[in-house]
Amino acid sequence: MKIPKISLFLFLIPSLALMLIFGVYPIIYNVFLSLKDVNLISYIRGTAQYIGFSNYREILGDPLFWKALSNTAIFTVISIVLQMVLGFLLALLFNREFPLKGLLQALVMIPWVMPIMVSGSFFRWFLSDNGFLNNFLLALNWIKEPVRWITTEKMAIYSLTAVNVWLGIPFNFILLYTGMQQIPEELYESSEIDGATGWQKVVYITLPMLKPVVIATFILGCILTFKVFDLVWIVTKGGPGGASHLLSTFSYSLAFDRFQFGKSAAVLVLMQIIVVLFIGFSNRMKWEER
Amino acid sequence: MKKRAGWKWSALVAVVVALIVSPLYFIAIGGFMSTEEIFYKPPYLFPPEPTLQYYREAFFTLLPYIKNSFILSFGTLLLTLIVALPASFVVTKFEFSMKSSLSFLFAFVQMIPYTAVIIPLFLMFTKMKLINSHFGAVLALSVFLVPFAIIILRSYMASIPSGLIEAALIDGAGYFKIFTNIFLPLSAPGIASVSILVFLLAWGNFIVPLAFIKEESMRPISIGLYVFIGQYGVEWNKLMAGSMIYTIPPLIVALLAGRAIVAGLTAGAFKE
Repeated sequence: MKIPKISLFLFLIPSLALMLIFGVYPIIYNVFLSLKDVNLISYIRGTAQYIGFSNYREILGDPLFWKALSNTAIFTVISIVLQMVLGFLLALLFNREFPLKGLLQALVMIPWVMPIMVSGSFFRWFLSDNGFLNNFLLALNWIKEPVRWITTEKMAIYSLTAVNVWLGIPFNFILLYTGMQQIPEELYESSEIDGATGWQKVVYITLPMLKPVVIATFILGCILTFKVFDLVWIVTKGGPGGASHLLSTFSYSLAFDRFQFGKSAAVLVLMQIIVVLFIGFSNRMKWEER
Repeated sequence: MKKRAGWKWSALVAVVVALIVSPLYFIAIGGFMSTEEIFYKPPYLFPPEPTLQYYREAFFTLLPYIKNSFILSFGTLLLTLIVALPASFVVTKFEFSMKSSLSFLFAFVQMIPYTAVIIPLFLMFTKMKLINSHFGAVLALSVFLVPFAIIILRSYMASIPSGLIEAALIDGAGYFKIFTNIFLPLSAPGIASVSILVFLLAWGNFIVPLAFIKEESMRPISIGLYVFIGQYGVEWNKLMAGSMIYTIPPLIVALLAGRAIVAGLTAGAFKE
Protein backbone atom coordinates (compact mmCIF):
# COMPACT_ATOMS: atom_id res chain seq x y z
CA MET A 1 0.00 0.00 0.00
CA LYS A 2 1.11 3.54 -0.63
CA ILE A 3 0.76 6.47 1.72
CA PRO A 4 1.07 10.19 0.83
CA LYS A 5 4.42 11.70 1.79
CA ILE A 6 2.91 14.20 4.20
CA SER A 7 1.00 11.58 6.23
CA LEU A 8 4.05 9.34 6.24
CA PHE A 9 6.12 12.18 7.57
CA LEU A 10 3.64 12.98 10.35
CA PHE A 11 3.54 9.36 11.52
CA LEU A 12 7.31 9.03 11.52
CA ILE A 13 8.45 12.38 12.85
CA PRO A 14 8.16 11.62 16.60
CA SER A 15 10.30 8.48 16.45
CA LEU A 16 12.75 9.97 13.95
CA ALA A 17 13.24 13.10 16.04
CA LEU A 18 13.74 11.18 19.26
CA MET A 19 16.23 8.72 17.80
CA LEU A 20 18.21 11.22 15.75
CA ILE A 21 18.49 13.85 18.48
CA PHE A 22 19.07 11.62 21.50
CA GLY A 23 20.53 8.48 19.86
CA VAL A 24 22.44 9.23 16.67
CA TYR A 25 23.54 12.79 17.38
CA PRO A 26 25.24 11.87 20.69
CA ILE A 27 27.25 9.19 18.88
CA ILE A 28 28.53 11.76 16.39
CA TYR A 29 29.02 14.28 19.16
CA ASN A 30 31.25 11.71 20.90
CA VAL A 31 33.69 11.86 18.01
CA PHE A 32 34.06 15.63 18.40
CA LEU A 33 34.34 15.35 22.20
CA SER A 34 37.09 12.78 21.81
CA LEU A 35 39.18 15.28 19.85
CA LYS A 36 38.75 18.03 22.42
CA ASP A 37 40.16 18.84 25.80
CA VAL A 38 36.80 18.65 27.61
CA ASN A 39 36.27 18.75 31.34
CA LEU A 40 33.20 20.05 33.14
CA ILE A 41 34.44 23.65 33.43
CA SER A 42 35.82 23.97 29.92
CA TYR A 43 32.56 22.50 28.62
CA ILE A 44 30.25 24.88 30.47
CA ARG A 45 32.40 27.89 29.60
CA GLY A 46 32.74 26.67 26.03
CA THR A 47 36.52 26.98 26.14
CA ALA A 48 37.39 23.37 25.26
CA GLN A 49 40.07 23.30 22.54
CA TYR A 50 40.68 20.80 19.77
CA ILE A 51 43.76 18.85 20.71
CA GLY A 52 43.91 16.36 17.85
CA PHE A 53 44.42 12.75 18.78
CA SER A 54 46.11 13.29 22.11
CA ASN A 55 43.13 11.84 24.05
CA TYR A 56 43.53 8.67 22.03
CA ARG A 57 47.28 8.69 22.53
CA GLU A 58 46.88 8.99 26.29
CA ILE A 59 44.20 6.31 26.41
CA LEU A 60 46.29 3.88 24.38
CA GLY A 61 49.21 4.54 26.71
CA ASP A 62 47.12 3.84 29.81
CA PRO A 63 47.58 0.29 31.17
CA LEU A 64 44.08 0.51 32.67
CA PHE A 65 42.63 0.78 29.15
CA TRP A 66 44.37 -2.40 28.03
CA LYS A 67 43.27 -4.12 31.22
CA ALA A 68 39.67 -3.04 30.57
CA LEU A 69 39.91 -4.20 26.95
CA SER A 70 41.18 -7.65 27.87
CA ASN A 71 38.61 -7.88 30.68
CA THR A 72 35.86 -7.04 28.22
CA ALA A 73 37.08 -9.77 25.89
CA ILE A 74 37.32 -12.34 28.70
CA PHE A 75 33.96 -11.32 30.12
CA THR A 76 32.17 -11.42 26.77
CA VAL A 77 33.62 -14.65 25.41
CA ILE A 78 33.32 -16.73 28.59
CA SER A 79 29.84 -15.36 29.35
CA ILE A 80 28.49 -16.13 25.91
CA VAL A 81 29.90 -19.63 25.71
CA LEU A 82 28.68 -20.68 29.16
CA GLN A 83 25.31 -18.93 28.85
CA MET A 84 24.61 -20.68 25.60
CA VAL A 85 25.71 -24.10 26.84
CA LEU A 86 23.65 -23.80 30.04
CA GLY A 87 20.71 -22.25 28.19
CA PHE A 88 20.81 -25.10 25.70
CA LEU A 89 20.92 -27.81 28.39
CA LEU A 90 18.03 -26.13 30.18
CA ALA A 91 16.07 -25.95 26.93
CA LEU A 92 16.64 -29.70 26.46
CA LEU A 93 15.17 -30.30 29.93
CA PHE A 94 12.08 -28.32 28.97
CA ASN A 95 11.75 -29.88 25.53
CA ARG A 96 8.96 -32.28 26.53
CA GLU A 97 5.62 -32.12 28.28
CA PHE A 98 5.50 -32.56 32.06
CA PRO A 99 3.39 -31.37 35.01
CA LEU A 100 3.95 -27.76 36.20
CA LYS A 101 5.94 -26.92 33.07
CA GLY A 102 4.37 -23.48 32.66
CA LEU A 103 5.11 -22.41 36.22
CA LEU A 104 8.68 -23.68 36.13
CA GLN A 105 9.29 -21.91 32.84
CA ALA A 106 8.03 -18.62 34.29
CA LEU A 107 10.37 -19.07 37.28
CA VAL A 108 13.40 -19.51 35.00
CA MET A 109 12.80 -15.94 33.78
CA ILE A 110 13.38 -14.51 37.28
CA PRO A 111 17.08 -13.61 36.84
CA TRP A 112 16.04 -11.57 33.78
CA VAL A 113 13.16 -9.92 35.60
CA MET A 114 15.06 -9.00 38.78
CA PRO A 115 16.33 -5.42 38.66
CA ILE A 116 20.10 -5.35 38.19
CA MET A 117 20.59 -3.33 41.38
CA VAL A 118 18.98 -6.20 43.30
CA SER A 119 20.97 -9.05 41.75
CA GLY A 120 24.15 -6.95 41.81
CA SER A 121 23.79 -6.15 45.52
CA PHE A 122 22.99 -9.77 46.26
CA PHE A 123 26.19 -10.99 44.61
CA ARG A 124 28.20 -8.29 46.30
CA TRP A 125 27.15 -9.91 49.59
CA PHE A 126 27.22 -13.51 48.33
CA LEU A 127 30.82 -13.19 47.08
CA SER A 128 32.22 -10.91 49.78
CA ASP A 129 35.11 -12.13 51.95
CA ASN A 130 32.77 -13.04 54.81
CA GLY A 131 29.73 -13.59 52.58
CA PHE A 132 27.45 -16.54 51.98
CA LEU A 133 29.61 -18.50 49.56
CA ASN A 134 32.71 -18.42 51.77
CA ASN A 135 30.75 -19.20 54.93
CA PHE A 136 29.03 -22.04 53.17
CA LEU A 137 32.23 -23.57 51.77
CA LEU A 138 34.02 -23.13 55.11
CA ALA A 139 31.19 -24.90 56.91
CA LEU A 140 31.48 -27.79 54.46
CA ASN A 141 35.24 -27.78 55.02
CA TRP A 142 35.84 -27.47 51.29
CA ILE A 143 38.12 -24.51 51.81
CA LYS A 144 40.41 -23.68 54.75
CA GLU A 145 40.15 -19.91 54.55
CA PRO A 146 37.87 -17.45 52.75
CA VAL A 147 38.45 -17.08 49.02
CA ARG A 148 38.61 -13.41 48.01
CA TRP A 149 36.27 -13.72 45.04
CA ILE A 150 35.82 -10.04 44.28
CA THR A 151 38.58 -8.37 46.26
CA THR A 152 41.67 -9.65 44.45
CA GLU A 153 42.89 -8.35 41.12
CA LYS A 154 43.19 -11.82 39.67
CA MET A 155 39.78 -13.21 40.58
CA ALA A 156 37.36 -10.29 40.40
CA ILE A 157 36.72 -10.35 36.65
CA TYR A 158 36.13 -14.11 36.64
CA SER A 159 33.67 -13.88 39.53
CA LEU A 160 31.82 -11.12 37.70
CA THR A 161 31.77 -13.25 34.56
CA ALA A 162 30.22 -16.11 36.53
CA VAL A 163 27.50 -13.80 37.81
CA ASN A 164 26.85 -12.59 34.30
CA VAL A 165 26.43 -16.18 33.13
CA TRP A 166 23.65 -16.56 35.67
CA LEU A 167 22.06 -13.31 34.49
CA GLY A 168 22.09 -14.46 30.87
CA ILE A 169 20.62 -17.93 31.34
CA PRO A 170 16.93 -16.91 30.92
CA PHE A 171 17.52 -15.01 27.69
CA ASN A 172 19.59 -17.76 26.07
CA PHE A 173 17.24 -20.42 27.34
CA ILE A 174 14.16 -18.75 25.92
CA LEU A 175 15.66 -18.12 22.48
CA LEU A 176 17.08 -21.63 22.15
CA TYR A 177 13.92 -23.23 23.55
CA THR A 178 11.72 -21.33 21.09
CA GLY A 179 14.04 -22.46 18.31
CA MET A 180 13.73 -26.09 19.42
CA GLN A 181 9.95 -25.88 19.16
CA GLN A 182 10.28 -25.21 15.42
CA ILE A 183 12.07 -28.50 14.75
CA PRO A 184 9.54 -30.89 13.14
CA GLU A 185 8.64 -33.79 15.42
CA GLU A 186 8.75 -36.27 12.52
CA LEU A 187 12.54 -35.99 12.37
CA TYR A 188 12.82 -37.36 15.88
CA GLU A 189 10.21 -40.03 15.25
CA SER A 190 11.88 -41.40 12.16
CA SER A 191 15.27 -41.39 13.87
CA GLU A 192 13.74 -43.44 16.68
CA ILE A 193 12.63 -46.03 14.17
CA ASP A 194 16.24 -46.17 13.03
CA GLY A 195 17.25 -46.77 16.65
CA ALA A 196 18.85 -43.42 17.55
CA THR A 197 19.65 -42.86 21.23
CA GLY A 198 18.81 -39.66 23.13
CA TRP A 199 22.23 -38.06 22.70
CA GLN A 200 22.45 -39.08 19.07
CA LYS A 201 19.20 -37.22 18.48
CA VAL A 202 20.61 -34.12 20.15
CA VAL A 203 23.87 -34.25 18.18
CA TYR A 204 22.48 -35.22 14.76
CA ILE A 205 19.07 -33.52 14.76
CA THR A 206 18.66 -30.81 17.41
CA LEU A 207 22.03 -29.10 17.03
CA PRO A 208 22.18 -28.98 13.21
CA MET A 209 18.54 -27.86 12.95
CA LEU A 210 19.13 -25.21 15.59
CA LYS A 211 22.20 -23.75 13.87
CA PRO A 212 20.56 -20.55 12.54
CA VAL A 213 19.02 -19.84 15.96
CA VAL A 214 22.34 -20.54 17.67
CA ILE A 215 24.09 -18.08 15.36
CA ALA A 216 21.45 -15.38 15.88
CA THR A 217 21.57 -15.89 19.65
CA PHE A 218 25.36 -15.76 19.60
CA ILE A 219 25.49 -12.48 17.67
CA LEU A 220 22.83 -10.87 19.83
CA GLY A 221 24.49 -12.16 22.99
CA CYS A 222 27.87 -10.72 21.99
CA ILE A 223 26.39 -7.28 21.36
CA LEU A 224 24.39 -7.32 24.61
CA THR A 225 27.32 -8.60 26.69
CA PHE A 226 29.82 -6.20 25.19
CA LYS A 227 27.82 -3.29 26.57
CA VAL A 228 27.29 -4.58 30.11
CA PHE A 229 27.87 -1.80 32.61
CA ASP A 230 25.58 -2.03 35.63
CA LEU A 231 26.67 -5.39 37.00
CA VAL A 232 30.32 -4.44 37.30
CA TRP A 233 29.53 -0.94 38.54
CA ILE A 234 27.32 -2.30 41.33
CA VAL A 235 29.43 -5.26 42.45
CA THR A 236 33.03 -3.96 42.25
CA LYS A 237 32.89 -0.48 40.66
CA GLY A 238 35.78 -1.73 38.54
CA GLY A 239 37.94 -2.44 41.58
CA PRO A 240 40.16 -3.46 43.19
CA GLY A 241 42.49 -0.89 41.69
CA GLY A 242 40.75 -0.88 38.32
CA ALA A 243 41.41 -4.60 37.88
CA SER A 244 37.82 -5.50 36.99
CA HIS A 245 36.96 -2.55 34.74
CA LEU A 246 35.18 -3.25 31.49
CA LEU A 247 35.51 -0.67 28.72
CA SER A 248 32.05 0.62 29.67
CA THR A 249 32.80 1.14 33.37
CA PHE A 250 36.26 2.48 32.55
CA SER A 251 34.85 5.20 30.31
CA TYR A 252 32.10 6.00 32.82
CA SER A 253 34.57 6.46 35.64
CA LEU A 254 36.80 8.63 33.44
CA ALA A 255 33.81 10.91 32.90
CA PHE A 256 32.06 10.95 36.24
CA ASP A 257 34.85 10.29 38.75
CA ARG A 258 37.63 12.21 37.01
CA PHE A 259 35.57 14.54 34.77
CA GLN A 260 37.79 13.76 31.78
CA PHE A 261 34.98 13.77 29.25
CA GLY A 262 37.29 13.97 26.24
CA LYS A 263 39.20 10.83 27.16
CA SER A 264 36.02 9.08 28.14
CA ALA A 265 34.57 9.87 24.71
CA ALA A 266 37.71 8.49 23.08
CA VAL A 267 37.13 5.15 24.82
CA LEU A 268 33.51 5.19 23.66
CA VAL A 269 34.52 5.85 20.06
CA LEU A 270 36.93 2.91 20.20
CA MET A 271 34.11 0.73 21.62
CA GLN A 272 31.82 1.88 18.82
CA ILE A 273 34.44 0.90 16.24
CA ILE A 274 34.69 -2.57 17.78
CA VAL A 275 30.89 -2.99 17.61
CA VAL A 276 30.78 -1.87 13.97
CA LEU A 277 33.61 -4.26 13.04
CA PHE A 278 31.81 -7.05 14.85
CA ILE A 279 28.49 -6.37 13.11
CA GLY A 280 30.27 -6.33 9.75
CA PHE A 281 31.91 -9.63 10.61
CA SER A 282 28.65 -11.17 11.84
CA ASN A 283 26.79 -10.13 8.70
CA ARG A 284 29.37 -12.05 6.72
CA MET A 285 28.87 -15.01 8.99
CA LYS A 286 25.12 -14.86 8.35
CA TRP A 287 25.79 -14.42 4.65
CA GLU A 288 27.92 -17.55 4.43
CA GLU A 289 25.19 -19.38 6.28
CA ARG A 290 22.77 -18.90 3.37
CA MET B 1 3.23 -35.70 19.49
CA LYS B 2 5.65 -34.25 21.92
CA LYS B 3 7.25 -36.59 24.43
CA ARG B 4 5.44 -36.74 27.76
CA ALA B 5 7.18 -37.10 31.07
CA GLY B 6 5.80 -37.54 34.57
CA TRP B 7 6.28 -35.99 37.98
CA LYS B 8 9.78 -37.44 38.26
CA TRP B 9 10.85 -35.19 35.41
CA SER B 10 9.10 -32.22 37.05
CA ALA B 11 11.08 -32.88 40.23
CA LEU B 12 14.37 -32.94 38.31
CA VAL B 13 13.56 -29.69 36.52
CA ALA B 14 12.35 -28.14 39.79
CA VAL B 15 15.73 -28.80 41.44
CA VAL B 16 17.54 -27.06 38.58
CA VAL B 17 15.10 -24.15 38.61
CA ALA B 18 15.38 -23.82 42.41
CA LEU B 19 19.13 -23.45 42.00
CA ILE B 20 18.65 -20.70 39.43
CA VAL B 21 16.16 -18.70 41.50
CA SER B 22 17.82 -19.29 44.90
CA PRO B 23 19.29 -15.75 45.06
CA LEU B 24 15.77 -14.37 45.30
CA TYR B 25 15.06 -16.67 48.24
CA PHE B 26 18.16 -15.55 50.14
CA ILE B 27 17.31 -11.90 49.51
CA ALA B 28 13.81 -12.50 50.83
CA ILE B 29 14.97 -14.18 54.06
CA GLY B 30 17.84 -11.69 54.50
CA GLY B 31 15.23 -9.00 55.09
CA PHE B 32 13.92 -10.91 58.10
CA MET B 33 17.33 -11.23 59.80
CA SER B 34 19.79 -9.05 61.67
CA THR B 35 23.08 -8.22 59.94
CA GLU B 36 24.93 -10.59 62.29
CA GLU B 37 22.57 -13.39 61.32
CA ILE B 38 23.06 -12.62 57.63
CA PHE B 39 26.83 -13.11 58.00
CA TYR B 40 26.53 -16.08 60.37
CA LYS B 41 28.79 -19.04 59.75
CA PRO B 42 27.47 -21.53 58.70
CA PRO B 43 24.88 -19.46 56.86
CA TYR B 44 21.24 -19.74 57.89
CA LEU B 45 18.94 -21.35 55.35
CA PHE B 46 15.89 -20.11 57.30
CA PRO B 47 15.71 -16.95 59.41
CA PRO B 48 16.26 -18.12 63.03
CA GLU B 49 14.22 -15.30 64.63
CA PRO B 50 12.24 -13.68 61.80
CA THR B 51 11.20 -10.07 62.33
CA LEU B 52 9.22 -7.74 60.09
CA GLN B 53 11.00 -4.69 61.49
CA TYR B 54 13.53 -4.30 58.65
CA TYR B 55 10.93 -4.71 55.93
CA ARG B 56 8.83 -2.04 57.64
CA GLU B 57 11.74 0.39 58.04
CA ALA B 58 12.97 -0.21 54.50
CA PHE B 59 9.49 0.32 53.08
CA PHE B 60 8.97 3.69 54.77
CA THR B 61 12.47 4.88 53.89
CA LEU B 62 11.99 3.87 50.27
CA LEU B 63 8.44 5.10 49.76
CA PRO B 64 9.40 8.38 48.00
CA TYR B 65 11.83 6.49 45.75
CA ILE B 66 9.16 3.97 44.85
CA LYS B 67 6.89 6.82 43.83
CA ASN B 68 9.65 8.18 41.58
CA SER B 69 10.16 4.75 40.05
CA PHE B 70 6.49 4.56 39.12
CA ILE B 71 6.62 8.06 37.62
CA LEU B 72 9.68 7.17 35.53
CA SER B 73 8.38 3.77 34.41
CA PHE B 74 4.91 4.90 33.43
CA GLY B 75 6.27 8.10 31.89
CA THR B 76 8.67 6.03 29.79
CA LEU B 77 5.92 3.61 28.85
CA LEU B 78 3.64 6.46 27.77
CA LEU B 79 6.28 8.27 25.71
CA THR B 80 7.54 5.05 24.13
CA LEU B 81 4.06 4.03 23.01
CA ILE B 82 3.15 7.49 21.71
CA VAL B 83 6.30 7.55 19.63
CA ALA B 84 6.55 3.89 18.60
CA LEU B 85 2.95 3.13 17.65
CA PRO B 86 2.52 5.57 14.73
CA ALA B 87 5.93 4.56 13.39
CA SER B 88 5.17 0.86 13.55
CA PHE B 89 1.83 1.50 11.79
CA VAL B 90 3.38 3.00 8.67
CA VAL B 91 6.39 0.72 8.70
CA THR B 92 4.27 -2.42 8.86
CA LYS B 93 1.46 -1.53 6.48
CA PHE B 94 2.85 0.77 3.80
CA GLU B 95 5.56 0.79 1.17
CA PHE B 96 7.80 3.80 0.79
CA SER B 97 11.21 4.54 -0.61
CA MET B 98 13.29 5.01 2.54
CA LYS B 99 11.89 2.01 4.37
CA SER B 100 15.02 -0.11 4.45
CA SER B 101 17.20 2.77 5.65
CA LEU B 102 14.62 3.38 8.36
CA SER B 103 14.76 -0.25 9.49
CA PHE B 104 18.51 0.06 9.56
CA LEU B 105 18.22 3.15 11.75
CA PHE B 106 16.00 1.32 14.25
CA ALA B 107 18.36 -1.64 14.40
CA PHE B 108 21.36 0.67 14.71
CA VAL B 109 19.92 2.74 17.57
CA GLN B 110 18.91 -0.41 19.39
CA MET B 111 22.49 -1.65 19.28
CA ILE B 112 24.10 1.52 20.62
CA PRO B 113 25.37 0.80 24.12
CA TYR B 114 23.82 2.98 26.80
CA THR B 115 27.25 3.95 28.03
CA ALA B 116 28.13 5.34 24.61
CA VAL B 117 25.46 8.04 24.76
CA ILE B 118 25.39 8.65 28.50
CA ILE B 119 28.37 11.03 28.42
CA PRO B 120 27.32 13.17 25.44
CA LEU B 121 23.73 13.13 26.72
CA PHE B 122 24.92 14.26 30.13
CA LEU B 123 26.64 17.26 28.54
CA MET B 124 23.63 18.01 26.32
CA PHE B 125 21.24 17.67 29.26
CA THR B 126 23.41 19.97 31.36
CA LYS B 127 22.93 22.69 28.76
CA MET B 128 19.23 21.90 28.26
CA LYS B 129 18.59 21.91 32.04
CA LEU B 130 17.39 18.30 31.89
CA ILE B 131 19.64 17.00 34.65
CA ASN B 132 17.65 16.19 37.80
CA SER B 133 14.45 16.11 35.79
CA HIS B 134 12.13 13.16 35.42
CA PHE B 135 11.36 14.28 31.89
CA GLY B 136 15.04 14.15 30.96
CA ALA B 137 15.36 10.63 32.38
CA VAL B 138 12.21 9.53 30.54
CA LEU B 139 13.65 10.88 27.27
CA ALA B 140 16.92 9.02 27.80
CA LEU B 141 15.12 5.80 28.68
CA SER B 142 12.76 6.02 25.70
CA VAL B 143 15.49 6.51 23.09
CA PHE B 144 16.46 2.86 23.29
CA LEU B 145 13.08 1.42 24.12
CA VAL B 146 11.39 2.97 21.06
CA PRO B 147 13.33 0.96 18.44
CA PHE B 148 12.97 -2.14 20.63
CA ALA B 149 9.20 -1.55 20.82
CA ILE B 150 8.88 -0.91 17.08
CA ILE B 151 10.72 -4.11 16.19
CA ILE B 152 8.47 -6.18 18.46
CA LEU B 153 5.26 -4.40 17.43
CA ARG B 154 6.02 -5.02 13.76
CA SER B 155 6.10 -8.76 14.25
CA TYR B 156 2.69 -8.66 15.92
CA MET B 157 1.12 -6.21 13.48
CA ALA B 158 2.20 -8.04 10.36
CA SER B 159 -0.78 -10.35 10.80
CA ILE B 160 -3.37 -7.55 10.70
CA PRO B 161 -5.07 -7.89 7.28
CA SER B 162 -4.19 -5.02 4.95
CA GLY B 163 -7.59 -5.43 3.32
CA LEU B 164 -9.24 -3.78 6.30
CA ILE B 165 -7.13 -0.67 5.83
CA GLU B 166 -7.68 -0.61 2.06
CA ALA B 167 -11.44 -0.88 2.56
CA ALA B 168 -11.43 1.98 5.06
CA LEU B 169 -9.38 4.12 2.64
CA ILE B 170 -11.93 3.50 -0.12
CA ASP B 171 -14.65 4.53 2.33
CA GLY B 172 -12.82 7.82 2.68
CA ALA B 173 -11.39 7.44 6.18
CA GLY B 174 -8.25 9.47 6.93
CA TYR B 175 -4.97 7.80 7.81
CA PHE B 176 -5.04 9.01 11.37
CA LYS B 177 -8.58 7.73 11.86
CA ILE B 178 -7.63 4.34 10.45
CA PHE B 179 -4.68 4.30 12.82
CA THR B 180 -6.72 5.07 15.93
CA ASN B 181 -10.00 3.29 15.13
CA ILE B 182 -8.91 0.18 13.23
CA PHE B 183 -5.24 -0.38 13.69
CA LEU B 184 -4.74 0.25 17.41
CA PRO B 185 -7.63 -1.95 18.63
CA LEU B 186 -6.43 -4.83 16.46
CA SER B 187 -2.89 -4.42 17.81
CA ALA B 188 -3.97 -4.82 21.44
CA PRO B 189 -2.09 -8.09 22.14
CA GLY B 190 1.13 -6.69 20.72
CA ILE B 191 0.72 -3.43 22.63
CA ALA B 192 0.13 -5.37 25.85
CA SER B 193 3.25 -7.47 25.37
CA VAL B 194 5.40 -4.46 24.51
CA SER B 195 4.02 -2.46 27.44
CA ILE B 196 5.00 -5.19 29.87
CA LEU B 197 8.54 -5.38 28.50
CA VAL B 198 9.00 -1.62 28.38
CA PHE B 199 7.72 -1.26 31.92
CA LEU B 200 10.07 -3.98 33.20
CA LEU B 201 13.09 -2.50 31.43
CA ALA B 202 12.34 1.04 32.62
CA TRP B 203 11.64 -0.15 36.17
CA GLY B 204 14.93 -2.02 36.37
CA ASN B 205 17.12 0.56 34.62
CA PHE B 206 20.11 1.68 36.63
CA ILE B 207 22.45 3.76 34.50
CA VAL B 208 20.03 6.50 33.40
CA PRO B 209 19.01 7.64 36.90
CA LEU B 210 22.59 7.07 38.10
CA ALA B 211 23.94 9.52 35.56
CA PHE B 212 21.12 12.04 35.20
CA ILE B 213 19.38 12.29 38.58
CA LYS B 214 21.70 13.57 41.28
CA GLU B 215 18.98 15.13 43.44
CA GLU B 216 18.08 12.65 46.18
CA SER B 217 14.35 13.49 46.26
CA MET B 218 14.00 12.80 42.52
CA ARG B 219 15.75 9.42 42.49
CA PRO B 220 14.01 6.11 41.75
CA ILE B 221 14.44 3.06 43.95
CA SER B 222 17.21 1.53 41.79
CA ILE B 223 19.52 4.29 43.04
CA GLY B 224 17.53 4.88 46.25
CA LEU B 225 18.71 1.53 47.61
CA TYR B 226 22.12 3.17 48.01
CA VAL B 227 20.78 4.89 51.17
CA PHE B 228 21.44 1.56 52.90
CA ILE B 229 25.00 1.49 51.57
CA GLY B 230 26.39 4.25 53.76
CA GLN B 231 29.86 5.52 54.50
CA TYR B 232 29.97 3.46 57.68
CA GLY B 233 29.14 0.12 56.14
CA VAL B 234 26.18 -1.52 54.54
CA GLU B 235 22.89 -2.16 56.35
CA TRP B 236 22.53 -5.51 54.64
CA ASN B 237 19.22 -6.49 56.21
CA LYS B 238 17.47 -3.32 55.09
CA LEU B 239 19.20 -3.47 51.72
CA MET B 240 17.81 -6.98 51.23
CA ALA B 241 14.36 -6.05 52.49
CA GLY B 242 14.39 -3.03 50.18
CA SER B 243 15.65 -5.17 47.27
CA MET B 244 12.76 -7.55 47.80
CA ILE B 245 10.25 -4.70 47.86
CA TYR B 246 11.80 -3.36 44.64
CA THR B 247 11.52 -6.80 43.00
CA ILE B 248 7.88 -7.46 43.88
CA PRO B 249 6.22 -5.47 41.06
CA PRO B 250 8.30 -7.08 38.26
CA LEU B 251 7.93 -10.46 39.95
CA ILE B 252 4.14 -10.22 39.89
CA VAL B 253 4.22 -9.10 36.28
CA ALA B 254 6.52 -11.98 35.34
CA LEU B 255 4.37 -14.63 37.02
CA LEU B 256 1.12 -13.25 35.60
CA ALA B 257 2.36 -12.41 32.13
CA GLY B 258 5.29 -14.77 31.57
CA ARG B 259 3.91 -15.78 28.20
CA ALA B 260 3.76 -12.18 26.94
CA ILE B 261 7.36 -11.59 28.03
CA VAL B 262 8.59 -14.68 26.24
CA ALA B 263 6.61 -13.87 23.09
CA GLY B 264 7.87 -10.30 23.06
CA LEU B 265 11.50 -11.19 23.68
CA THR B 266 11.66 -13.80 20.96
CA ALA B 267 9.84 -11.57 18.49
CA GLY B 268 12.32 -8.78 19.20
CA ALA B 269 15.36 -11.01 18.95
CA PHE B 270 14.70 -12.70 15.63
CA LYS B 271 13.52 -9.71 13.66
CA GLU B 272 15.98 -8.27 11.10
